[in-house]
Amino acid sequence: MRPSLKENYLDQVVDFANKNEEPNWFSELRQDALNKSADLALPQYEKINYRSWRLDRPKAPFAEDENISDVTLPETDNLLVQNGGTTVVSKLSDKLADKGVIFTDIWTALKEYPDLVQKYFLNTTINVDSNKLIALNLALMNGGSFLYIPKNLKVEEAIQAIYIQNGDEKKDYNHHVLVVADEGSEVTYLENYLSNGNKETNIANIVVEVVALDNSNVHFSALDQFGSNVSTYLNRHGYVGNDARLDWAIGSMNDGHVVGDFGTELRGEGSHTEAKVVAITTSDQVQGIDTKVTNYGKHSIGHILQHGVILQSSTLTFNGVGHIVKGARGSDSQQESRVLMLSRKARGDADPILLIDENDVTAGHAASVGRVNEDQMYYLMSRGIDEKTAQRLVIRGFLSSVITEIPEKEVRDRMTAMIERKLVNGQQK
Amino acid sequence: MSTLEVKDLHVSVVDDENGKGQEILKGVNLTMSTGEIHAIMGPNGTGKSTLSQAIMGNSAYKVTQGDILFDGKSILEMPVDERARAGLFLAMQYPQEIAGVTNVEFMRAAINSRRADDDQIPIMEFMKKLDAKQEILDMTDEMSERYLNEGFSGGEKKRNEILQLLMIEPKFAILDEIDSGLDIDALKVVSRGVNSMRGDNFGSLIITHYQRLLNYIVPDQVHIMMDGRIVKSGGPDLAKKLEEEGYAGLRDDLNIDAKLTDEI
Ligand SMILES: Nc1ncnc2c1ncn2[C@@H]1O[C@H](COP(=O)(O)OP(=O)(O)O)[C@@H](O)[C@H]1O
Ligand SMILES: [Mg+2]
Repeated sequence: MRPSLKENYLDQVVDFANKNEEPNWFSELRQDALNKSADLALPQYEKINYRSWRLDRPKAPFAEDENISDVTLPETDNLLVQNGGTTVVSKLSDKLADKGVIFTDIWTALKEYPDLVQKYFLNTTINVDSNKLIALNLALMNGGSFLYIPKNLKVEEAIQAIYIQNGDEKKDYNHHVLVVADEGSEVTYLENYLSNGNKETNIANIVVEVVALDNSNVHFSALDQFGSNVSTYLNRHGYVGNDARLDWAIGSMNDGHVVGDFGTELRGEGSHTEAKVVAITTSDQVQGIDTKVTNYGKHSIGHILQHGVILQSSTLTFNGVGHIVKGARGSDSQQESRVLMLSRKARGDADPILLIDENDVTAGHAASVGRVNEDQMYYLMSRGIDEKTAQRLVIRGFLSSVITEIPEKEVRDRMTAMIERKLVNGQQK
Repeated sequence: MSTLEVKDLHVSVVDDENGKGQEILKGVNLTMSTGEIHAIMGPNGTGKSTLSQAIMGNSAYKVTQGDILFDGKSILEMPVDERARAGLFLAMQYPQEIAGVTNVEFMRAAINSRRADDDQIPIMEFMKKLDAKQEILDMTDEMSERYLNEGFSGGEKKRNEILQLLMIEPKFAILDEIDSGLDIDALKVVSRGVNSMRGDNFGSLIITHYQRLLNYIVPDQVHIMMDGRIVKSGGPDLAKKLEEEGYAGLRDDLNIDAKLTDEI
């Protein structure tokens, strides 16, 4: 019999927590999570089979971070950059800091704002009992950050984070992000995961929690770019309070295998989410994305839009889950999932799943697996643009639902460049 | 000098409902040279757009007989992008909208598609040209920075088609109902754009339902199309005569047995 995770890692977990001067309660949470992970099941998603990726077998969670070659950084006042768990840049404008905004690595937050972190960490939607991978994320967490926006503060500047996975080093990437928008606040947060180097085979386990308290407004954009040797579990979950709004714009531009679990709980009356996800798969990678919105609050609105493109012999699955709970009267659940297939060898799925336990609601869904829009191709080619270039432009149009949502031009350009690069690679036979 | 010849052209479209081919063009003949502006007028549903699409190479339109020659060589086997790079341009009746791709980026891609990879247009040169052309069309930078035709009004789309024409500078431009939905001021602006292209190295085929446009872009020749054929050709006066008599009058004059869809 293999030694259990607990036997293998308990000492390392305790050592790591001590070394980072984590408060006792957090170290205990980690140990509890490690214990529980043994018995908890892997999360299951319709038509997404990722067992063989072995995401539940840690390999090197607590290896030291090795230095990485330079990464170009955006010019902005509010930026956090982490190489694995090592914080490279941590900037917040004086203006925002003076008003009480907190934006730090997770250990600084645990030291300086333990009460705030404890109140919300794995405590609003998902928790340590949700599944094995979330428990492992907490037990073996080796990087992360905390963003807090105080009551009634409207932050106009975007807050940016760049999280780098060192692909040349053997190290598990266990990352946890907590974003809390207090009542009546407004914020735009952008995060970008990327691999620097690609020599080693690694696993990544990321949990991102977004708490949008009553009357707050959160705009969350993500650009995910893990390398082809990284297999990733990526869980993003949001809590939305009364009359609060949480919008997601996620670009899943990874080169490796990914299982994405994007969930939003519309707990408040009149709460609202627009969850937009775009993805491109190439080569022989598999991306399975399960986007779920649960309407609990009366008059809550949950909309899902997923657009993806599949090239070569890759696989892309979009599940769209709309769940309206009994009592969520007057609520609305809509979803659209569309997949473009550019290759006969590719596999694509767009599955709408509607679970409706209340009568007084509106709900709808659209799903399709199709080909590139011929009228748009013709229009572009009639201006002399060759077929492959035209195809990339039409696809960009198809993915624009997320591109146009990204508020910062610089990040938008990064995303566009990423799409271009991935498509150029994918168009090769 | 370049020439564009349409010879005994027969074109069919496949009916979406019954899957059968339906012949729309029934033997069109037309010869144009650069330096000339031709106008095609005709009632709705007569095949004017079909002719323009067949010349450009839209695969939905099948050439079943006849030929299209550019400088004496058949272009029937050429895909649409090659025809464009050879010097053909079609301002479409219904331009597509593509979000996520800006007008500027699209026009640069179009211009660069005509240039070698190591000789792409420098950004400053492009912007300078764009400024000059926008000015002719009373357009602002704001419009060019927007996504391709996205959220444009009908009139803005037409203007944008002409901006592309001025930027790309083709040898032959087919303008399909570039006047529809334009008020008189916009019509003047669009005409000013087209007229700025006039010269020995540019030829145009202007498709219109109304004579009004031809007051602003005066053609060298006018052709009347009915029921998939060109039934009469003449000078600019022909358009005026048509305006007075109407299509029904002309049809009866010529003793043609064509049904007009917009006949009252
Ligand atoms: N893509 C198409 N598919 C099916 N029928 C078409 C298509 N394009 C044109 N037609 C038909 O061909 C005929 C001529 O249309 P069109 O060339 O658009 O006329 P015009 O431009 O002169 O108004 C019409 O009966 C129209 O319905
Ligand atoms: Mg027409």
